Amino acid sequence: MSADLYWRVHMEGDQSSLRSRAHVRGGFEPGGIAPGVRGGRPDGFTHLDYIGEVARTTEAAGFTGALLPSFPHTDDPWAAAASLARETSTYRFMIAFQPGFLHPVQAARMAASLQLATGGRVVFNIISGGGGPAQLWWGDKVDHDDRYARTSEFLDVLKGVWAGGFTHHGRFYQVEDESLPELLAGRPLPEIFFSGSSPAAIAAAGRHADYYLSWLEPFDALAEKFDQVRAHSETPPRFGVRVDVLARETEEEAWEEIRQGWANRPSPAGREGGDSIGVARSAAFLADAGDGFRAREVAPNVWGGFSELRDGPAFGLVGSYAQVAARLDELIALGADALILAGVPHLEEAQRVGAHVLPLLKGI
Amino acid sequence: MTEIHLTLPARGPFDLLERVARGADLSGLDGLYAPSDPGGLDSLVVAAGALRATRYTLTAAAFSPRVSTPVYAAKFSASLQRFSGGRFGWHLAGAAPDVTAEFLTVAKGVWTAPDFSFEGRHFSVLKGGLGPVLAAGPFPRVYLSGTSPAELELSARHADVHVFDPADDIEALLPAGVTAALRVTAEELGDHLGRAGIYLVTSGEPLRDAYRIGESRVG
Repeated sequence: MSADLYWRVHMEGDQSSLRSRAHVRGGFEPGGIAPGVRGGRPDGFTHLDYIGEVARTTEAAGFTGALLPSFPHTDDPWAAAASLARETSTYRFMIAFQPGFLHPVQAARMAASLQLATGGRVVFNIISGGGGPAQLWWGDKVDHDDRYARTSEFLDVLKGVWAGGFTHHGRFYQVEDESLPELLAGRPLPEIFFSGSSPAAIAAAGRHADYYLSWLEPFDALAEKFDQVRAHSETPPRFGVRVDVLARETEEEAWEEIRQGWANRPSPAGREGGDSIGVARSAAFLADAGDGFRAREVAPNVWGGFSELRDGPAFGLVGSYAQVAARLDELIALGADALILAGVPHLEEAQRVGAHVLPLLKGI
Repeated sequence: MTEIHLTLPARGPFDLLERVARGADLSGLDGLYAPSDPGGLDSLVVAAGALRATRYTLTAAAFSPRVSTPVYAAKFSASLQRFSGGRFGWHLAGAAPDVTAEFLTVAKGVWTAPDFSFEGRHFSVLKGGLGPVLAAGPFPRVYLSGTSPAELELSARHADVHVFDPADDIEALLPAGVTAALRVTAEELGDHLGRAGIYLVTSGEPLRDAYRIGESRVG
């Protein structure tokens, strides 16, 4: 058993810790650093300078690469990957995007250009969209199940153009004898991580995904989901799991960090309505959890309160270095072929996890 | 002031692209231009790399409004503006004027308005808006081109810069309030100085010309 280990690189700015939700790094709130102020004037640094530091830190810490996630009001993964393509040497850039953003021929051209710039280090995270007001914000009126049909067609066209001489008259895209130019042709197609928890997503993933990517859920639910995907796949699929980790020398230190964050968390804001099945599943796992942060530990070290302390999904792992490593090994044993870890702040936690957790993993 | 922008070699390699970009920056050129070349590298990827490699020069990318939704183009570009201190520009070419007009209406709308809605023939958006942080930078400088009445009318409404070729009658065609840019080769540049505000210079030896042109202006 072995697994690729990715880190997550924030696009939304970064917090100093889980104890305060202020994004003091990256220029999303007044004050803070990258950009900062020096002598009363902007210092000229940007969020990209800090993102680059996180990329270099995680590459040095031993990670395979990083997921660059996509949200409406954050920086953009294609823009960040294209800007930083030449600044690491082994690091893979996993670019999250929705098929509705770009024409598939353009996505193929951009990806092939980046493959050339990086020596083949681009990975895709295809997301079909959280739906609701957020989809309309993007100018995307295609509804939930149709978005997966479009995703399938998008990937058919992208792969066809990549292979060359591709003609397609479909519901969403028309392409006539399209190829990449000689300069861009013949490079490896980026591996595809495919997200989505609904039956429509799982059906589409079966056709196109190299990796089926899920947020962390209680392990039995995750195992069940993996079984569903296997049932829809002609070839045995590979699995990726997105896992936040809060690991410290001792279990007590880790929970103390959570306790302080929980005490300082802002009152729950109104959530944007969407048709994300993943969000609904996470909420269901916590339906019986009582008050207090420890009530959200639904299984040993599996904690469902991260969404209260930072932007992103609910579940992650909390515990000592050894405990977190043991849980990650369990995920690998469950069938995870890739783990996408994350922690806040993204830079220091990548260094910590690289130094103290990764060496304890048996499965890599 | 006359601006000199050097066209980046569309077929790379990336090492050369970066050295040309740094050369233009070091030698005080005003801008870089990432052309749209069906046989070459993607212009948006090239432009992002050029902006990262430079401190002062502007970089414009030529692309078609058909390749992306305007909301996504705005979002991608808002990040490049944040990353570069507002040095990114768009040369929109390759689509009919009505498509380009809608593309710019939506992109500018989500950049400037908090709750922007638009229902067009080609593009739409409901309660869009990048928000104050992403849209804090300037909207990309807009370059348009073409000499038909519809293209010139589009420029009058939307362009900061209109791109001409040496044979065009710039004085007769240039819409009011728009800056003229002229596409010339490095060899032709001297013959055309004075005709336009911006020169988009193509060169078979872009690295050498980055320094040569820069030094000729200070010398």
